[in-house]
Amino acid sequence: MFPDNKMPATVADLLRHLGVDSATVVAELDGQIIERKNFATTTLNAGQTIELVRFVPGG
Amino acid sequence: MDKFVIAGKQFTSRLLIGTGKFSSSKAMAQAIEAAGAEIVTVALRRVDITNKDDDMLSAIDRQKYLLLPNTSGARTADEAIRLSHLARAATGINWVKLEVTPDPYYLLPDPIETLKAAEILVKEGFIVLPYINADPILSKKLQDVGTATVMPLASPIGSNQGLKTRAAIEIIIEQANVPVIVDAGLGLPSHAAEAMEMGADAVLVNTAIATAVEPAKMAEAFKLAVMAGRTAYLFGAAAESKKANASSPLTGFLRND
Repeated sequence: MFPDNKMPATVADLLRHLGVDSATVVAELDGQIIERKNFATTTLNAGQTIELVRFVPGG
Repeated sequence: MDKFVIAGKQFTSRLLIGTGKFSSSKAMAQAIEAAGAEIVTVALRRVDITNKDDDMLSAIDRQKYLLLPNTSGARTADEAIRLSHLARAATGINWVKLEVTPDPYYLLPDPIETLKAAEILVKEGFIVLPYINADPILSKKLQDVGTATVMPLASPIGSNQGLKTRAAIEIIIEQANVPVIVDAGLGLPSHAAEAMEMGADAVLVNTAIATAVEPAKMAEAFKLAVMAGRTAYLFGAAAESKKANASSPLTGFLRND
């Protein structure tokens, strides 16, 4: 997914790659919530599952 | 209007607004403003990476409004708890509108899963506002486990049918020691006024405002109806009787018999 990236990818890298504003997103990595302040320091490894959610309109 | 308190937090408005189904974020923001609302509900969903513009809620000023995330989409207590944790991470506060609706046709809430989730979330420190069918026993059990409110439905979500559950909601209000917020199915300002006249503490409206021709104007109509209903409740409705009771004097008629 990050062919040009020699460094381990982080949650922040992934969001940048996808063009998603990290200020509005919550991430869950293998079922564990990653605090927004830790996006830049949480590395992603092969085989992990990441869930990205955000608020949408609702009643 | 008199103050409205949920979990120690004071509000002036007794009209909560749902943010779904608006045609644009501008229409939504204008309606929230016109409603004078202080609490607005939102849902949590997967990020749509094919749609960069899906952040509709940036139109909501979070300094001004309390964002109340719901757990819509949850079919079990476990799913609702997971959504609550994600919501807390997203808002930074621990308020949640608990919804567990396994039935896709009527979207009726599952009482057993709702009670189960509520008990766990309260223990975890959440301020829980559960969406429920209008069941007085369930309402009592929820307030006993420590929910901040109960939110009985007037009729199915988005149905605009009004207060079909009136008799049961009257019992819930009579027994409640937490605020009763009538949620779902209020289709007209008169429905909202009726709920408030009965003594509901607040109402939550979404579809009736969001899908009106002029959402901001309809939001204003609901705001006035909620204020009218609350005022009528506070200052004592006159008694109902079967026979007529003349309003004009029964003496001094212009006749000689």
